[in-house]
Amino acid sequence: MINLIRNEMLKIIRRRKLLVVALIISVLVGLFTYAQYKEAERTRERIGSQDWRTTVQQQIVDTQNRLGSSGISDEWKTQLKLRIQQQQYYLDHDINPLEPGAPTFMRTFAEHSITLLIPLMVMVIAADLVSSERSSGTVKLLLTRPIKRWKVLMSKYLALLLSISAVIGIFGLVSYLVSGLVFGYQGWDAPVVTGFTALGSELDTAGAQLLPQWQYILMEYSLVWFVAIIVGTIAFMLSVLVKSTPAAMGIMLAALISGLILSNMVSSWESARYFFMINMDLTAYLAGNPPPIEGMTLGFSLSILAVWGIAALVVSFLVFTREDVY
Amino acid sequence: MRKYSVPVMTIFSLFVFILLLAGFGWTLQNQLGEETGKETKTIKPEQPAAKEKQGGKEKHILALGDSLTRGTGDESGKGYTGYLIDQLKKKSKEDIVLHNLGVKGYRSGQLLQQIDQPEVQRQAAAADMILITIGGNDLFQQGQTLKDPSMENVAGLQGKYLANLETVISKLRDVNKDAPIYFIGLYNPFIDMKDAPGTTKAVRDWNYATGNLLDSVPNTVFVPTFDIFQLNVNKYLFSDKFHPNNKGYKLIAERVASLITW
Repeated sequence: MINLIRNEMLKIIRRRKLLVVALIISVLVGLFTYAQYKEAERTRERIGSQDWRTTVQQQIVDTQNRLGSSGISDEWKTQLKLRIQQQQYYLDHDINPLEPGAPTFMRTFAEHSITLLIPLMVMVIAADLVSSERSSGTVKLLLTRPIKRWKVLMSKYLALLLSISAVIGIFGLVSYLVSGLVFGYQGWDAPVVTGFTALGSELDTAGAQLLPQWQYILMEYSLVWFVAIIVGTIAFMLSVLVKSTPAAMGIMLAALISGLILSNMVSSWESARYFFMINMDLTAYLAGNPPPIEGMTLGFSLSILAVWGIAALVVSFLVFTREDVY
Repeated sequence: MRKYSVPVMTIFSLFVFILLLAGFGWTLQNQLGEETGKETKTIKPEQPAAKEKQGGKEKHILALGDSLTRGTGDESGKGYTGYLIDQLKKKSKEDIVLHNLGVKGYRSGQLLQQIDQPEVQRQAAAADMILITIGGNDLFQQGQTLKDPSMENVAGLQGKYLANLETVISKLRDVNKDAPIYFIGLYNPFIDMKDAPGTTKAVRDWNYATGNLLDSVPNTVFVPTFDIFQLNVNKYLFSDKFHPNNKGYKLIAERVASLITW
């Protein structure tokens, strides 16, 4: 079994997929670092001060002004109100929400990547794991060996899990190293608040707790990792079911993007919350942002994702062990 | 290199895998665990209002109030505060920093709530000059007052407003004894409507009472704007016929600028 997994890892690494992923992430991190640097510079110019308290206060006032303007939807109003309360909490407790430094960049970058970038990277690896063996015909060589079919598939799946972990590891490492060049490497101990819960338009701070940033980052990356594994598992199932790799990728891509679009407009379609792609923004729960549909919680989203993942895995094994290969 | 890349990558993946698996377990426990199991960490006490005035390096101007401070009606978005800063920057060698905390639609009661926030007090303490516009929404009530411009109604509104304003000014003076406070008076945007004498009288009374109140506070200036708009109400008002346009804001700014001593 170990040998089988090693063989699969060899295939993934020799085909330079991880290298491609690492390159893509490096380029993007470079871009975002520059963008954030520019943004910080502009804020400094506009407000003329580097004191974060002044910046946060100004953001609160700007948001209050936006609240006052007519013609914004109730939903958006609720979000703005929550944001004001959250920022007020930061001010009142003297916590800098945007402590500069590489760890903060790591944190915000992961928050923004969890719904699309990371799933895309995972898809690149997972979508052709089985279907490429089929299209190149090597699947016959693999299956004629005296090894049970489920073992073959299992070794592929475990190699996928390892590669997904590698992608997340590379993601964190690269974003830390590159952004640190500009922002400095400090800030692991900076306090971060988590545990806000949105109750309608009110912010419940009863469960709020203060964590050092490194713990928060560990939590966040483990959630990103979980989402990546579920997306990977679903893409894996597609690569078993669909004979061609581009088709598997296309289906997955459509699902991911529809998830992004849907989460902006499903607030009144309650049953949409059973889709896996609506539940992918797990880090939003940590940060205390309101969920796309009222009533969704971290536990709910995790269970939905887990159900989808297990179902996908069962389907892949059932299909792969029974189908005819020719 | 090629020879080692596979084992190195595998070991790296395995390491991240175990780390994140452990992290995931801990996240579940922390976020979903029983309320009692959660560590209730005491949040560290607030730092004392650090950083007072920075000795003469830059001047801080704090602008408080309603839509006039915000600059509603000015296409460039500057408002009188923006034009004022532009003028001061030309004259002064020092850097001038504006903190504009104006919120559209604010009434005196809301301003009072805003002043109670520690961060606002910190900025007030560090300010070299404070600008205030408030009262327009207290008086006109988004146009409601025009329907019932009776003396009793206006007097009631005015009483509440004066009480709030007095607290606001005294709180500002508590944290900052020296900075001059410029209070921008009201004008009558409805002066060309048929009920002009009534609204004009209400605004005049309002300004008079405000000026009286400010007289008792040292280093506080009431800046009249009534006369600016008196004969040019259509020329200097924005299309909503309530807020000034960029010309109106520029005139208010010029007036304030001429009163500033530094």
